[in-house]
Amino acid sequence: MNVGAERLAASPRPALLAGIAVAGCLAGALSVRLAYTADISTPGVRAALIDWITLPYIAAGLVAWWRRPESRLGVLMIAGGFTIFLSSLAWADAALPSTVGQLFDILPAAVFLHVYLAFPSGRLTTTFQRLVVGSAYALAVGPQVVKMVLGYGSNHLLVIWTRPDAAQVVERVQLLSISALCLVGIGILASRRFRSGPPLRRSLAALIDSFALGLLMIAGLFVIGAFAWPAFTTIQHLTLLIIGISPFAFLVGLLSARLARSAVGDLFVALRAEPPPEHLRDELARALRDPSLALAYWLPEFQSYADLEGRAIDLTAEADGRTTTPIDRNGARVAVLLHDQSLDDEPELLNAVTAAAGIALENARLHAELRARVEELAGSRARVLEAGQKERQRLERNLHDGAQQRLIALSLELRFLERQLADHPDAVKRLDDAQREIDVSLAELRAVAWGLHPAVLTGHGLAVALEQIAARAPVPVELNVDLDGRVAEDIEVAAYYVVTESLANVAKHAKATRATIGIDHMDGNLLVEVVDDGVGGADTDRGSGLRGLADRVEALGGRLRVWTPRGGGTRVRAEIPCA
Amino acid sequence: MRVAIAEDSVLLREGLVRLLDDAGFDVVGECTDAEGLMRSVRSDRPDVAIVDIRLPPTHNDEGLRAALEIRSEHPEVGVLVLSQYVELGLALKLLAGSAEGVGYLLKDRIRDVAEFVAAIRRVADGGSALDPVIVSTLVSRPRHDDPLERLTKRERQILELMAAGTSNQGIADKLVITLRGVEKHVSTIFGKLGLPATRSESRRVLAVLMFLRA
Repeated sequence: MNVGAERLAASPRPALLAGIAVAGCLAGALSVRLAYTADISTPGVRAALIDWITLPYIAAGLVAWWRRPESRLGVLMIAGGFTIFLSSLAWADAALPSTVGQLFDILPAAVFLHVYLAFPSGRLTTTFQRLVVGSAYALAVGPQVVKMVLGYGSNHLLVIWTRPDAAQVVERVQLLSISALCLVGIGILASRRFRSGPPLRRSLAALIDSFALGLLMIAGLFVIGAFAWPAFTTIQHLTLLIIGISPFAFLVGLLSARLARSAVGDLFVALRAEPPPEHLRDELARALRDPSLALAYWLPEFQSYADLEGRAIDLTAEADGRTTTPIDRNGARVAVLLHDQSLDDEPELLNAVTAAAGIALENARLHAELRARVEELAGSRARVLEAGQKERQRLERNLHDGAQQRLIALSLELRFLERQLADHPDAVKRLDDAQREIDVSLAELRAVAWGLHPAVLTGHGLAVALEQIAARAPVPVELNVDLDGRVAEDIEVAAYYVVTESLANVAKHAKATRATIGIDHMDGNLLVEVVDDGVGGADTDRGSGLRGLADRVEALGGRLRVWTPRGGGTRVRAEIPCA
Repeated sequence: MRVAIAEDSVLLREGLVRLLDDAGFDVVGECTDAEGLMRSVRSDRPDVAIVDIRLPPTHNDEGLRAALEIRSEHPEVGVLVLSQYVELGLALKLLAGSAEGVGYLLKDRIRDVAEFVAAIRRVADGGSALDPVIVSTLVSRPRHDDPLERLTKRERQILELMAAGTSNQGIADKLVITLRGVEKHVSTIFGKLGLPATRSESRRVLAVLMFLRA
């Protein structure tokens, strides 16, 4: 089993993760210490807010990196956590760390924008996104350096030329631009949420909402900062509080993936009971939480995907917002899952579910293949029968238009000749003999042509054709035909042979005193029923011709049933679909 | 007596025309399909139309449809349908409602020129002609408490001739008995079968047919 193997990557070494965790804790502690030694108001609140972001981001990043090594998101979140910590270095007494801290003052905003837009793969998928995030980084660092060179801030090493009004202009441009980029980011998130389709999982939706809220707060904060409006500090605290929520939402998302893995456990239990193939889709849909899930099985013999009934499926015709995941087993394609795009975010879940369902999927595939073969066989049987029927019709027609007409014309010609030779008794006698030969030939030819195909059926339909059959039957026959007009010719022919063969059996075996022929139209089926009051116990397998009849009826998708209890008469009933 | 013919086989059509010419008929229409026949019936005013039941283009039911159309739209024109096979179902369709001026014969019958010509004249005069094969199929059809068993052999013979459309005079000639004798037999037969007596020969064809078919 192999699902999107290219997405799987090795987990980071535990020592590395542990090292980062320790570094994170130290960074948290250092922030607290810096806050309390710095000359700032409410150091406790400030330090708590820094750690409120640093620690959860690093923790969630570590979990993400460990659980989803193929995603770069974990690394990004860890970077986000440390960036916030770095910005707290601005509180340091020493000039160098303070310089670094002040340089990183705005950077966290760009990192968070990056994290939010890169969720869940950790990669930015479009050029536009890359442009937005790249601009944010550039704006966070470039103008920051310029500001500090112009004397913005204090206790740092970059100040060269003290021009506070110029620094303020630069800051205003910087903050408003980043604010605008955050709003663009909200737009990107909103469009992603719309495209995700109905089975978007609730935890995922909540996460995207928390990202959007975080961006909104940053945008607002920077606008307020740019114009030095009051209440900046309160909004700043609120913003940091909200940004710190995202890792928790992210962890809840991960947890729900763990819950999904318990759904995989349920799937295992369900599959152990060997549910019928037609229930497999429902089980998988439940485990993947995608009610729109569909399965297409690969039938190598037909070089086509098919549903469980063996009907071909065109994968290219699938709708937007849906994607396919191939499922292979022992190097051979088994099936394709057609699912909602949002499931691509959970390759592990897909992998686990398809692995759990491996044998069941293979069974279902065999089921589909069998059905496809049966369909094909039925189709070819129908084609063979139809070709035979057409050929017989053609032969009958040739005899009718050719030999039969010519013989009658010839016979008429002999009549004329006979009249001219009226005074040659010998010749007249020989002509009479010839006439009689033609009579016999015509009768034989008529029987042959009739045996090939009952022309009256083609020309005038079942109701007309059965009059003669009923009148010629070996026992009194009641004929009940309840048909409006004609049905397809192959169906008429099959029905006709069901009647004639059944009546032939009545004559041969049944010792019946009467029979009834019923033709009716019911629920899209032509019903043909022949009932006799004979001895019953007909041999339905050998010699009775019933097998051939069943073939004919089944080739048209119908079925033939025979009730023939010993001493209880025989009832032959054919149902042929004729929608 | 004016005749129109619809027959797509050239050999047979020419043979028929010659036969009819020899027998003193005036062949006013020689057609190869149903449309041509309908035109001829409308413009040439034949007394009787002779129709092959299988006509182009499909050779399915064109001939029968033309026959039925002539019967409903030109009731004064007799219709004699010829077929390679005689089918009870087709006879019943053709004679549905009335046996006046209608005939249905196996194509082979044209070789017995005298009988055939008599049948044409009968149909043209508003009588009927039903192929003996149809009649014998009906008469020999298995029945419970077969009422035909109450008939004498001679009565059965007469019943079959009646059903085929033969007139009383025709029956008398064929069986070499007096017309009076035929009439007596006919009323006995109707009495035994419980059929209402009728003087119309074509009406009694239908009565007998329906009786036999039931």
